[in-house]
Amino acid sequence: MSDRAMLDWSTDADSPVPPSSWGRRSPTAPVLPWAFVALVGALIAGRFLLAPYLTSPALQTWATIFVAICVQALPFLVFGVLLSAAITAFVPASFWTRALPRRPYAAVPVAGAAGAVLPGCECASVPVASGLMARGVTPAAALAFLLASPAINPVVLVSTAVAFPGRPEMVAARFAASLVVAVLAGWLWLRFGRAEWLRVPRRATGRGWGAFQDAMRHDLLHAGGFLVVGGVAAATLNVVVPRSWLTAIAENPWLSVLALALLAVVLSICSEADAFVAASLTAFSPTAKLAFLVVGPMVDLKLIALQAGTFGRSFAVRFVPLTFALAVGVSVVTGWVLL
Amino acid sequence: MSQGLVLLLLGGAVLRISAFSTSYLNYVKPGFRPFLIAAGAVVFILGAIILVQEWRKPAKEGPDEEHGEEHAHHDDGHGHDHAHGPRVAWLMTLPVFAIFLIAPPALGSYAAARDDVAPPPPAREVVEGYAPLPDGQAVAMPIGEFVGRAWGDPKRSLTGKRVRLTGFVVKGKKKDTWYVARMQLNCCAADALALKVAVKGAPAPAENTWVEVTGTWIPPKSDKLPNGTVPPEIESVSVVEVPQPTEPYE
Repeated sequence: MSDRAMLDWSTDADSPVPPSSWGRRSPTAPVLPWAFVALVGALIAGRFLLAPYLTSPALQTWATIFVAICVQALPFLVFGVLLSAAITAFVPASFWTRALPRRPYAAVPVAGAAGAVLPGCECASVPVASGLMARGVTPAAALAFLLASPAINPVVLVSTAVAFPGRPEMVAARFAASLVVAVLAGWLWLRFGRAEWLRVPRRATGRGWGAFQDAMRHDLLHAGGFLVVGGVAAATLNVVVPRSWLTAIAENPWLSVLALALLAVVLSICSEADAFVAASLTAFSPTAKLAFLVVGPMVDLKLIALQAGTFGRSFAVRFVPLTFALAVGVSVVTGWVLL
Repeated sequence: MSQGLVLLLLGGAVLRISAFSTSYLNYVKPGFRPFLIAAGAVVFILGAIILVQEWRKPAKEGPDEEHGEEHAHHDDGHGHDHAHGPRVAWLMTLPVFAIFLIAPPALGSYAAARDDVAPPPPAREVVEGYAPLPDGQAVAMPIGEFVGRAWGDPKRSLTGKRVRLTGFVVKGKKKDTWYVARMQLNCCAADALALKVAVKGAPAPAENTWVEVTGTWIPPKSDKLPNGTVPPEIESVSVVEVPQPTEPYE
């Protein structure tokens, strides 16, 4: 469509377009560009007038962490959105029916294991899973992929190995526990989940660049907005909750597992870096660290916001507690067996 | 229209902090730059494409059948109109506001004072052992390495060696104690850990100033205190104010 678009644009450019086109638009539309010009003006003015006063250390720390979370997640989100749009627009639906086992119960573990090939973090996996669903993959299988891929892909496993030198069992435990949680969650959703809880993103049936761009814009606008919601929540808790509370809990073996699982939810660290943070929490038992590593990529504040935005609130309300309980339970069992 | 502008702004802001300045170093690791530039460019270009399309739209609304089809699937049970984009997309201007209005600086003494003491870095060096330090002139070393050598080196390679540490000033809870500190990043500023070394033998400069501390390690009086409860100490010979390095984190 781009060729024609360029041609049309150039012919339009010759004619006195703006007045005639504005006349045809809905009455509210022309306001927006001007609101926007005002916005940019306010930004530039604020930069000089307001910025010298916004210097409270707490506010600045909050802003740094908030911007850091958004900025750090954006490349992964864009990558996920690109991949998802490519799946929607260029991979025929028949591919998935051939690639995945016909029976849904068999498709779940296959999709979970397939998560190992997507080298991204959790922000990338949400749009990709939604793209898979839109292409007719069983929702439970797409969910298993969603949970597994940020935890078991090679980049994350290598970074875990680097963060825990001389402890390969940590990598094995993380891989095993994450895959088990993903498959169990998929099966449970298949058995008990209802179709009306999940808002399966329906997309254009069209193919090619038009559909690609349409899918990209849809995903990016949704996921990007919800990513910001998660970033605000994570940055606020990061600044407000002192970490010294945690060390007080580290003594108790049961509480410490729960405490690190909750910390993983609150911090919303990218799964490619969380192993380093886990390794630095030396006061905690290996099982508690494993819980941190298993919960983090599956349940955290920015991920909850992304899931709620992509699949609907009634989905997130059920799926998030289910995943969290499974992740903690499986981590405890795995830690007991392997670590 | 508005969604295109939101994306244009966000992409522009990301490009501004990554491609046209080094302020992205306040938020993420240096190696992240190419990804940030790529992501910023994609968002920016997508925003521009949307804008161009919306601009053309009214003129060719009637005869364009492709466009009609687009409208048909827009009512697909989402409960919102795609032409105006989801409301939540407006939130994407929030980081833009933060970047331009607050211009968030690198994490400083406020963040460093919140962590009581960072845990010992479980670096590979602890397993492989540290290289011995030369005698004579002061060796510049990252604060993380200093802490690692002080806590995790069985050969006590720091003993009697003169070193130079660069970091910002954090006041201690007790009077007269102050630390030279640096934040350590693994991925982004959200996971930053404070590395602190207590400085003895010099009055405290103003909070948050960047200093270069030259001195020697003071071995702890007893080995009983476990690592991570008390920061290592340095007996300073000189404390010089320096400008903030471009890469504020270790």
